[in-house]
Amino acid sequence: MSALELSGVSKRFGGLKALNDISLSVSPGEVLGLIGPNGAGKSTLVSCITGVLRIDDGTIRFGKRDIQGLPPHQRARRGIARTFQKVRLADQLTVYENVAAGLASRWFSHANGWPLLFRPLSAASIAAAVNRTLEQVGLVDVAATTVRSLPFGRRHFVEIARAIVAGPSLLLLDEPATGLTESEREHLAVLVKDIAAGGCAQILIEHDLELVGRLCHRVTVINQGHHVFTGTPAAAQAEPEVVRAYLGMNQLISGGADDARG
Amino acid sequence: MSRKVLLIAVFAVLAALPLSFGTFWINMMITAMIFSLAVFSINFLTGLTGLLSFGQAGFVGIGAYTLGVLAKQGHPPLLAGFYGVLLAMLSGFLLGLPAARLKGHYLAIGTLGFGILIYQLLTNSVDITRGPMGLIGIPTGGIDKQTWYIVMLGVCLIVLAALVYIDRYSSLGVILKMVRHDEIAAQANGINVFAVKLIAFTVSAGFAGLSGALFAAYVRFLTPDLFNEQESFRYMMMAVVGGIGSPLGGFAASLLLTMIPEGLRALGEDNYRLLVYGTMVLFVLWFLPAGIGGLIERQRR
Repeated sequence: MSALELSGVSKRFGGLKALNDISLSVSPGEVLGLIGPNGAGKSTLVSCITGVLRIDDGTIRFGKRDIQGLPPHQRARRGIARTFQKVRLADQLTVYENVAAGLASRWFSHANGWPLLFRPLSAASIAAAVNRTLEQVGLVDVAATTVRSLPFGRRHFVEIARAIVAGPSLLLLDEPATGLTESEREHLAVLVKDIAAGGCAQILIEHDLELVGRLCHRVTVINQGHHVFTGTPAAAQAEPEVVRAYLGMNQLISGGADDARG
Repeated sequence: MSRKVLLIAVFAVLAALPLSFGTFWINMMITAMIFSLAVFSINFLTGLTGLLSFGQAGFVGIGAYTLGVLAKQGHPPLLAGFYGVLLAMLSGFLLGLPAARLKGHYLAIGTLGFGILIYQLLTNSVDITRGPMGLIGIPTGGIDKQTWYIVMLGVCLIVLAALVYIDRYSSLGVILKMVRHDEIAAQANGINVFAVKLIAFTVSAGFAGLSGALFAAYVRFLTPDLFNEQESFRYMMMAVVGGIGSPLGGFAASLLLTMIPEGLRALGEDNYRLLVYGTMVLFVLWFLPAGIGGLIERQRR
């Protein structure tokens, strides 16, 4: 059974159809690439999945449940986590505190969670989850550092740590490789595979097509709000419609980063 | 460590002050500590959660008048004070319903409007509050000033400790600060931003209401003028001079900004003292943009 299933999703902004009859699904442990040119509707789609925007048509099922009526915080509590294209962290707080905030979706997920809020941040149950995640993401050395004083690339990892600390079943990664150094990019690739191995479904929005080709089991291509293609990264390059929509893109996927920069 | 020792020493000196201070200054200190609770309400609302309120005096007024009116009708003062805090919290909740949806300037104007509304209500409900004639002779337990002083110091310390704990060490503090920093990220982490804001308004109003109830019980004389928008601005100024996110700084600022204008009366009864006072406040903000709390924080690091 798929972790997330969208069928026939449409979203209009006035006269503009931002999303038109989009269907996709992602299974536990799977990494689905979501690609398309700027303005294709990727971010709108993410907003529809997280509940920031309400869809006009279609259904969104998460696990067994139809989640269309739920506000964003309720969806987060049910296990939909995300990172942001432009990092949204509390930069005066430490890495530890930022990651601990990600546990909020767990604290609030049951009615008797409120008393938990008065526990110290150093409480054993919080520290265990946060430290385990910091270790997984590779941030142990900067746990007590404020986000403000971190290099830009590492902030992406703090956001990923915050997103996965509560153990979500779906993770949306919105251009996580932007601004990363080569070694950080490799680290990200290992991390995404690691998270997938834990059974979490992931949707990866990324312009770095070499990374997409390497990490994603399947790729969904959208353009101007329309679904163009879904299939393996290898099949995408053979698909004439994809080639037509993005001249040369298939070459990027198959040829890797060197060709892309060449 | 030495900072803790210093802090304990400061409060020990504060506790010992009544032994050497005259009644006039003890009186000022007690009032200042009562005000500091209203300043704490701003530290909690604005400093932690990031919501601006220019109507805190309204909640103080609700707390004060509830105690005043009920105590005069023969209810036990303690119970009347409890109702005062409760009614302030209820008003905070009701104000929060629309205000939690507002941001920035709109929130400032909205809360300012609330403060003026309460002021007008206190002035014009002559049947209940006696309006501008004032509520005179509020019966209270007949506690002497020394006891008042110690009780107020205790209350302030407890609230202060609670706020510092929430701010620096608790899970709740992180959640409030997440809402302050980034509502969209907060939502994405399962935080119901609207509910958090509503609770912040309610709790903050509770502190302000407590300040009002204690004021009524201590001063035993109320007029609506004590709770107009000027008072709201004064609380805000104390919070800003103290450092908006620092309850400890807010406490220090409440004491200083209440005592200094009185001390400056030595300069004569004309308005020069206000000029000196205003200049001092400007200089604090010029050299300490993060307020007294910023100074304390710098020592800590």
